[in-house]
Amino acid sequence: MSNKHLFLPSGFIRTPLQNGLGRYIPQLQRITLKFCKNHGGSRGVRDFIETDLMEFAKTNPGTVVYLKPRRHRYPCMVAEYLNGEREYLSCHEFSRAEIQKWLSYMCTRSGIPVMRFRKYQHTDYPSIQGVWNPFTHQAPEINVAQFPHEILSKPVNNGPTATDQLIEIFKKTQIKDPVKPEH
Amino acid sequence: MAALWKTCHQCLRYGLSHKSFYPSVSAINVISKRNFKPRWVAPTLREIKRRKDVEDDRNGGPKIFHRSTFLEWNYDAEIFAFSNRLGEKFNEATLRTALTHKSYVERETARLSDIGVDSYLQIQNNEELAVAGGALISKFTNGYLRAVFTRVPEELIMAMHDFLTSTSNLEIVGKHIGLGDLMLCSDFPCESETYVKSLKAVVAALAESSGEERARIFVQDLVVTQLYGLDINELWNPADPVGNLTDILKREGKAEPEFRLIKHSGQNSVLAVYYVGVYSDKNFIAEGAGESLEIAKEMAAREALKQLFHTEDSMKALPFGRQLKNIQSKIVQLENQPNLPLSKWISEKVTSAVH
Repeated sequence: MSNKHLFLPSGFIRTPLQNGLGRYIPQLQRITLKFCKNHGGSRGVRDFIETDLMEFAKTNPGTVVYLKPRRHRYPCMVAEYLNGEREYLSCHEFSRAEIQKWLSYMCTRSGIPVMRFRKYQHTDYPSIQGVWNPFTHQAPEINVAQFPHEILSKPVNNGPTATDQLIEIFKKTQIKDPVKPEH
Repeated sequence: MAALWKTCHQCLRYGLSHKSFYPSVSAINVISKRNFKPRWVAPTLREIKRRKDVEDDRNGGPKIFHRSTFLEWNYDAEIFAFSNRLGEKFNEATLRTALTHKSYVERETARLSDIGVDSYLQIQNNEELAVAGGALISKFTNGYLRAVFTRVPEELIMAMHDFLTSTSNLEIVGKHIGLGDLMLCSDFPCESETYVKSLKAVVAALAESSGEERARIFVQDLVVTQLYGLDINELWNPADPVGNLTDILKREGKAEPEFRLIKHSGQNSVLAVYYVGVYSDKNFIAEGAGESLEIAKEMAAREALKQLFHTEDSMKALPFGRQLKNIQSKIVQLENQPNLPLSKWISEKVTSAVH
């Protein structure tokens, strides 16, 4: 139920170097695709390299793509980000489409590790009229008043009491101009 | 020993070798999947890590390797990606010069002469570019600050400028655009000054390649945006706010500021609070709070000055990026025109910013 036991760190949404405020800089610095030339588990990676890789490289000119064929090893991709973080993902038995999906996932991330976002809103002006303090809405007369004070010592916003209401009702039931009996 | 060797072979066979043993990195994030490993795998890896930690402690920290020592490294591709990442076009020779440090050239010359090849290397270093770039960064920052903070005295402008062009700020900017792997320098891990020099040289290279306007936009997008979220009143405060406020009101021909106690609570206690208001000719200007009367008076004067300079907490948000399109000409104009100093500040001579 609570989040204290989770190992996933939590924090507020942030971006390295105020990215996007001035210009957007894609944070993926380089991506290394390691694969085997024969093994079946690397088939998806090999197919991706043969078909979709060039387009990926063209659409992301800010990312260097390294291909590292390694015989008898499982395929993987290692993404390096501008803030120094690295992401490793095993691509064993991935299909071509899955590789495409995970690669686009790597591209759109900043290097900040995955975390639980505490709030999805942010504001630079948390208070418009000013934060409440005990002096807000206090009558300035309290500064020079002698307590106990006739008005200021009483509670504020007190409506008519039950007794007052009864008195009002009684007054309304009275005849206004009683007719004088003629002698 | 033989048993450990055999275990390592088995580790390799079971495909554990793709778990990285990159020595240089403090943390590598693995997008983990559910996998079941034999019983002996975890204890073996634990033992290997323990031995590695012992060695690292003995050597004073883990071994670090420059990215260029990896097999997968292509400097030309990295340079290409660098310029595309920033969305700028560089003259490649100038960019390479901007990233080459004097220490690198010296080291290479020494290395060659050690081998016996006595050649004078024709590589240029980035000393001149760094100096030019530093001047450009300073100029562009000042232009932005004066165009956005039109009512602010020159002392605060200088404080903000000093913060933005400080070594720590420029180092952070340099690190986050990827200069760390591209710089050719002899020190590793690279020092702050190296990053700062490289960044300045890159700005100068950009000005040379694409023109001063592109370099200005570059500095606005990368260096000046670090002002976002900062409380600029933390950077500088007038030393004598009461005196300064009195002088300003006198210069403007208004009545002398009068400080009156507005609210107070908790005297004779640790949590005393006094609210003091500043009035000029019975007109309320600002109020300030403090633990004692003197502090509250000073805070009130500071608030009044903030209101005059339009640097209150509720001030308008700073413009960045595309929002600067309309005031670029004003920025250029004000690059060499300092604001009024505090000793001469007067409301009539300042205009409110329009952005």
